[in-house]
Amino acid sequence: MLNVRGINKSFGATHAVRNVTFDAAQGSVLGLVGENGAGKSTVIKIIGGLVAPDSGHVLLDGNVLSLRTPREALAHGIDSVYQELAVVGNLTVAENLLLLAPPCRRWFSIDRRHLRFAAQELLDKYELMVSPHARVGDLPLGQRQMLEIARAVNRSPRVLVLDEATSALGQGEVRWLVRLVDRLRTEDKIVLFISHRWDEIATFCDRVAVMRNGALIEVAERGALSQERAVQLMTGHGIAGGFSPKVAPKEEPLLEARDLRSEALRDVSFSLRRGEILGLGGLVGQGQSELLRTLFAAHELKKGQITLSGRTLRLRHPEDAIRAQVAYVPQERKSEGLFLDKSVAFNMTYAILKRLRTHLGVIDSSNEQAIVNEGITQLKIRTPSPSGRVGTLSGGNQQKVLLQKWLLTRPAVLLLDDVTRGVDITTKTQIYEIMRSIAESGTGIIFYSTDTDELVGLATRVLVMVEGRIRKSLSNHEISAEAIVDAAIGTGTGTG
Amino acid sequence: MKGYLEEIRNTEATGPAAVFLFLLLADVVLKGGRYTEFDAETLAANALPLVLVALGQYFVILVRGIDLSLGPVMSVSSTLAAVLFPLGTVPALLVAIGSGALAGTVNGLLVTRLTLSPIIVTLATMSIWDGVSLVVLPTPGGVIPPALQAALTSSSVVLPVPILLLIATTGVGAWIMSTRFGLHLRAFGGDDAAAKASGVAVRRIQFTAYVIAGLFAALGGIYSAVATSAGSPIIGDGYILSSIAAVVVGGVPLIGGRGSPIGVTMGALTLSIIGSLLYFANLSDFYQSLINGVILVVVVGAVAARDMIWKAVAG
Repeated sequence: MLNVRGINKSFGATHAVRNVTFDAAQGSVLGLVGENGAGKSTVIKIIGGLVAPDSGHVLLDGNVLSLRTPREALAHGIDSVYQELAVVGNLTVAENLLLLAPPCRRWFSIDRRHLRFAAQELLDKYELMVSPHARVGDLPLGQRQMLEIARAVNRSPRVLVLDEATSALGQGEVRWLVRLVDRLRTEDKIVLFISHRWDEIATFCDRVAVMRNGALIEVAERGALSQERAVQLMTGHGIAGGFSPKVAPKEEPLLEARDLRSEALRDVSFSLRRGEILGLGGLVGQGQSELLRTLFAAHELKKGQITLSGRTLRLRHPEDAIRAQVAYVPQERKSEGLFLDKSVAFNMTYAILKRLRTHLGVIDSSNEQAIVNEGITQLKIRTPSPSGRVGTLSGGNQQKVLLQKWLLTRPAVLLLDDVTRGVDITTKTQIYEIMRSIAESGTGIIFYSTDTDELVGLATRVLVMVEGRIRKSLSNHEISAEAIVDAAIGTGTGTG
Repeated sequence: MKGYLEEIRNTEATGPAAVFLFLLLADVVLKGGRYTEFDAETLAANALPLVLVALGQYFVILVRGIDLSLGPVMSVSSTLAAVLFPLGTVPALLVAIGSGALAGTVNGLLVTRLTLSPIIVTLATMSIWDGVSLVVLPTPGGVIPPALQAALTSSSVVLPVPILLLIATTGVGAWIMSTRFGLHLRAFGGDDAAAKASGVAVRRIQFTAYVIAGLFAALGGIYSAVATSAGSPIIGDGYILSSIAAVVVGGVPLIGGRGSPIGVTMGALTLSIIGSLLYFANLSDFYQSLINGVILVVVVGAVAARDMIWKAVAG
């Protein structure tokens, strides 16, 4: 019996795990579900010895475990397969499989022949069709993940933790894992299974624990929990609200994207009208950022066509996009958007310096000052003075400076890449107001957000993306947190 | 069969060996086709300090570090040995070797416990050990036991002793890499996060690499003191960067995780034979630095080209 008791963990100001307590019984599979950032991975990393909790304990058969490193966890019989792969790319399959206990000859030298032999035996046992000599870095992701799972299972752990272990597996490979987990169940092992995908939770697990905002909010038998109920628990109801009525988009079309294809995008087509606020949703890393960056020419497009106000755009460099009046506010504002050492004024007017030039090519500083002061008042930016360094401002105020920098370029299309993440609630509300007012003035906005409530509260249309495709397009009354999460993780009620 | 080819590819010593053998051939041609045992012995004796310190550097680079203090560590062991030999050969050797272990321990602790950047840590300890060697022996000198010198430079065992030592030290390096510890060094260099999550004792592995480096460098310092009949506080200065160059010419990328001790020895021999080539080609010593640089660029370029070809062939 594995008992997790009162675990807490904070990273800086974020309380990632709040007082989590649960049990997992021998011969059973416990599923852990929740939205991005719900705290599942942190809980798993604490059990696996990768992250130390601020408080709380993990007990196995009544004994409190010391879990300061993965080695200690392994010594207690807790083996973890993480979302980020833990096989070493520059070593061979055989070396990876027997990394901790390679067969040795005299003088501690590794017996290469025996190593290959033992590895081949293991590969046969787990039905893996790879050469023991192959370098792991040359293998496809799915095979690497299978190797890692096989290695963990082969160490015969008491507790096996599978953190998004299916993320790189194809359908046949998932069936392979099902057989493996079934065998572990009959061998009386404890399995913890983390997944975003409900169909997999339903396939693998006996019990399901639901997390939201770092807290464990329900543990139920699999049969007693429907997908609808689970999604409701994961998204948490009644948190939304506080959003003003939505802005009605104008009729004229503005932007049209057809069959966009790149490393991260698969045939994405959509259109945007003037004054429309279009939301992008889905799990993290499904191509949303790349889609926005593609429209700004910061992500390479392989195929596809983008037209703006009827004119086909040829975007090769962000400069082309800026000239076409497309503005992009990035996620990583520290690295991509702002000069932290420079003043608020410098950062705000950086993109419109051409407009500020006098006939002699000198910056008209009184004009600049007027523009900067107006921006500071309008966006309620809290800074000691226009010459204050941007690096000293709070995250929310930095974000507003960046936003104003692009608003000054009077964009026709504004692309917002998860701009409210890590921003306090007051600033968020102000950013929503700004979005609303520029949409009313006719600018089309495409915004990606990891906060589902934002999409529900602001967008008149939401595109849910899965693996680089638009899986579902929701408009007006169809938009709800449940519908978005359902499309992002569900078994797929209607694709498109 | 395919498996064995992959294993040979994994030793990654064929390229550096080919470069060395090519230069050796050029050397033989320049000498008019005569290559005696004495020529080989001279090459080995000249190359041995660089081989030793480069092997040490190799272990640090393998775990994605760099050790700028190895040259001064040679100076410290060289001066300590020369000063202490009058008190007894064995104690002097032990203290000199111990100084290398101590230097490696300090570097290792600072890098692994305080998680400081290796280049900064060893930049500091480089200066410290330089100072220590000047305190121990301000000018070259000291006493070298004639018996020890005779034993280490003798040419009358099966093969000349410098050649035997060269083979032995390379063998020790290759042996270390053949153990589980060696596998873990490569795992750390390839992907330390994955190695840690797999249960490898990453901090201990990284720490031990620095200690081994210190030991090899100390041996290099002792050998050069014995071979030149004097301890010197500046003997190591020339090895600070050439030890790194030898590792790179030996086919080890600075991002770690790859390469072999045999390759490193070939790299050190390559840099050493250039001096001899210049002499017999009637070129001034002043060209040595220039030629070293050209060889470095050519080798690194060749490695990059090879990797691109492998990638293209693989898919």
